[in-house]
Amino acid sequence: MAEKTDVWQGTLALMVLKTLETLGPLHGYGIARRIEQTSGDLLSVNYGTLYPALLKLEQEGYIDSEWGQSDNHRKAKYYRLTRAGRKQLAKEAQEWDQATAILARFLTPSEDRS
Amino acid sequence: MRRLRAWFVRLGGLFKKERSDRAFAAEMDSHLQMHIDDNLRSGMTADEARRHALIKLGGITQTKEIYGERRGIPAVETLLQDLRFAVRMLLKNPGFTVVAVLILALGIGANTAMFSVVRAVLLKPLAYSNPDRIVTLASFWKANSGKGQVSAPDYHDWHDQSSAFEEMAYYGAWDTAVTAGTATGATAEYAHAAQIGPEFFRVFGVTPFVGREFSAEEAKRGGPGAALISYAYAARHFGDEANALGKRVQMAGKTLDIVGAMPAGFRFPENTDIWYPTNTIVPDTESRSAHNYRVIARLRDGVRLEQAQAQMAAIGARLEEKYPDSNKGKSVAVTQLRDEMVNEFRLTLYVMLVAVGVVLLIACANLANMLLAKAVARTREMAIRTAVGAGRGRIVRQLVTESILLALIAGAAGLALAFWGCRTLVALAPGDVPRLAEAGIDGDVLLFTLGISMVASLLFGLAPALQVLRVDLNSALKQSVQRTGVGSMADRMRQALVVAEIALSVILVAGAGLLIKSFVALQNVELGFRSERVLVVGTSVPASDLESARRATRFYKQLLAEVRAFPGVLDAGATMEPPGHTASDGSYWIDQLPTALNVSAPHAVFSVVSPGTFATLGIPQQQGRDFNDGDTYDAPFTAVINEALARQAFPNQDPIGHSIFCGLDSMNGMKIVGIVGNVRQEGPAKEPSPEIYMPYEQHPQPAIALSILVRTSMPPGTISPAVRDKIHALSVDVPVKFTTMEALNSEGVAAPRFRTLLLGIFAALAVGLALAGVYGVMSYVVGQRSNEIGLRMALGASQSDVLRLVLRQTLLLAGAGIVIGLAGAAAVTQFLTSILFGVKATDPAIYAAVVALLVLTALGASYVPARRAMRVDPMVALRYE
Repeated sequence: MAEKTDVWQGTLALMVLKTLETLGPLHGYGIARRIEQTSGDLLSVNYGTLYPALLKLEQEGYIDSEWGQSDNHRKAKYYRLTRAGRKQLAKEAQEWDQATAILARFLTPSEDRS
Repeated sequence: MRRLRAWFVRLGGLFKKERSDRAFAAEMDSHLQMHIDDNLRSGMTADEARRHALIKLGGITQTKEIYGERRGIPAVETLLQDLRFAVRMLLKNPGFTVVAVLILALGIGANTAMFSVVRAVLLKPLAYSNPDRIVTLASFWKANSGKGQVSAPDYHDWHDQSSAFEEMAYYGAWDTAVTAGTATGATAEYAHAAQIGPEFFRVFGVTPFVGREFSAEEAKRGGPGAALISYAYAARHFGDEANALGKRVQMAGKTLDIVGAMPAGFRFPENTDIWYPTNTIVPDTESRSAHNYRVIARLRDGVRLEQAQAQMAAIGARLEEKYPDSNKGKSVAVTQLRDEMVNEFRLTLYVMLVAVGVVLLIACANLANMLLAKAVARTREMAIRTAVGAGRGRIVRQLVTESILLALIAGAAGLALAFWGCRTLVALAPGDVPRLAEAGIDGDVLLFTLGISMVASLLFGLAPALQVLRVDLNSALKQSVQRTGVGSMADRMRQALVVAEIALSVILVAGAGLLIKSFVALQNVELGFRSERVLVVGTSVPASDLESARRATRFYKQLLAEVRAFPGVLDAGATMEPPGHTASDGSYWIDQLPTALNVSAPHAVFSVVSPGTFATLGIPQQQGRDFNDGDTYDAPFTAVINEALARQAFPNQDPIGHSIFCGLDSMNGMKIVGIVGNVRQEGPAKEPSPEIYMPYEQHPQPAIALSILVRTSMPPGTISPAVRDKIHALSVDVPVKFTTMEALNSEGVAAPRFRTLLLGIFAALAVGLALAGVYGVMSYVVGQRSNEIGLRMALGASQSDVLRLVLRQTLLLAGAGIVIGLAGAAAVTQFLTSILFGVKATDPAIYAAVVALLVLTALGASYVPARRAMRVDPMVALRYE
């Protein structure tokens, strides 16, 4: 089994936003599980660090929260993407794409260099 | 923006902490349950499912901690906690708190009040547009580096030949008889009236609030003139400014149309009520030796003061060459208007500001001492808090919070004191300090108060904080306070603080002592005249030419005769200017006029008086006679000279019978008929100058505005209604104002009295605080050494030995403070030299007195502690050991 990597600093927020965009309103546990699953279990989310990150996003107004019922009738706090969150997600995703593209150019061997 | 929003939410988070704590716990709980459910579904046992879920979640407490920090603002939370604790500490020792706040509030209040005065007078820009471009121009006399008024022809040359100024205007202002309106029977009143050159208002960038400026026709040479009035004058005499338009005022025997009113804040120069054009109703004096005007100008953009000064000096030099008779030795001085206005008060105010700052320093030293004592007493508390995990920084922060809280409370109390203090200062200050009325508490003053409160809190909070940093945790926990090394370290700091207090007090007391001695010397100067029970009645008869001036003389002659006949009147006279100020001065010549009038001839003060004036003022007639009714306009001209002039012009000769010439109004030779004693014409601080007295009937034009002097057998004020009625019965056109010779004398020394009183108060405060400081330290020392003292007594020391022990330590402290203070005083009092009279800054008697006072204060302060030491019971002390 491949060694699990901790979530990189600064990317957790982006993952949370993307998860909420894909799945709609979701509770903290669900978000954590989804991130792990999406990464093909390569990432390990420290559940403890997730909640301060959620709080920060909520304070910044990117997500909303509301108490509700889970599938198996447990009371849970559901997080939902706000309009500002959607915009932020688009912006950050684009920046991330750009960053990875630039990095990729550095890492792929270039043909005009000998 | 998002960050800002987050901060606001976090700020809100400070308040509903408990509710959100519960919500978080619920969220964690639901998270755990869901995880356990999942684990159960994947086939774990209940125990295993729970264990895995908990491990995956990590330390719940830690999560809670991070979450909590993110939710609120940790620094603010600590601050609130510190504040709550500080408030509790201050409330726990109400006595301590009240004393500390009072001491500090006194210091802060005095500083705030003083600052508000300094700001209003010295710092605030004048309320004109671009006020720092406005300058005054004055004649500069190279011989004595003195500045003086300007002659009309000089001004015109300055104006036409210079390029450094956008606008330049000459003006003159006097208290003048003015009748508002033209109703018959309306009485004249004094008003401050200014004749102004054409560019005057443009210099200040002001325009009339209603109406218009003078037309070219009104302002032209010999034109009819017109009047602009102040907002206040309009309100007083016409109801409001709009109503005043088209009305008239009568002055100088002419009637002027009111063409406008100036805005409410504009009264330049002094408190002017009426402005009218120069060279219209009063013709300009055409001689270059008649310095009757003042000049004001606005610097052209980009021209610096020094450049303007250089240009004017060159023009002055050209005029010297062209008109040597009148302009030799005369140059031009360019000064910023504000500097010119506050010049004589600047030093006094800055001295007071420094003095009051020193009082605050002493107050801080006192407070530092009190807090240090408290910090030492709290050493164990601090040690315990350190032991259970509080960082030193955290504890120091706690102490600093306490200091700041204390300073802020004191600052608020000080502000209340300053309100009252500021009004007291304004009331005490000499009446002629410009812009003093603007002193008050406003935004800038509040900022200043906040600022010095914070600085003060740093100053006195530092000592206990440093103290804490040096606490050795182990020894502090193990031992009682008295025996830790901390105690002795703090002791040294306390003693240093008291030495500093004494040193600063010495400086203040030395300064106050010098000013007091100087003021007493000023009061004891022989003025050369008697001022008791002399009423002074200012009058002014409207006159514009010789004919009307001679009518004025007849008016005064009749008035004096009738006033002399009043019951209770012992004597009466009249003079252009009562002693204390001079109306006119210039060169004089003996026996014959030289063909070319040289301005380098000796100078004398010119006075015009009525017969009986010398007797009224008690000026001794030393030789010859006083003027009498025979000295009329048609009789041969006569003069009386003073002793100083006799000595200067007639060494070893009898002056009587010689003739004397001066350019007051005519160059007629005057026969000297008498010699009188010297009078200090310019107040007690200046030596008497040579003086020529001339009879009013022979000089009608200078004598149209005289002060009537009445010596009475009862309080002089009681006679003023009768005098007023008599004057108005003779003429409704003559305004009157009353004062007494004693009041004038007192006004003359108002500035020295003000600074002496103030510095005296500050010095007294300083000594009081030093007394408290010495008392505090000595009480502490005695308390600390009571075991040692008891032991000594048990071993046979007598009570007087103990007394000596305490006193020796007191004197050691006081001595160190006094030596340092004397050195400081010797350096600092140099700055007082220019405001001292009859005493040197190094006066040994003063310094001896200061030393004696401080030694006595220190001994007095240690009296109670010493008594306590003598009563130490050896048995108690030994048992305690």
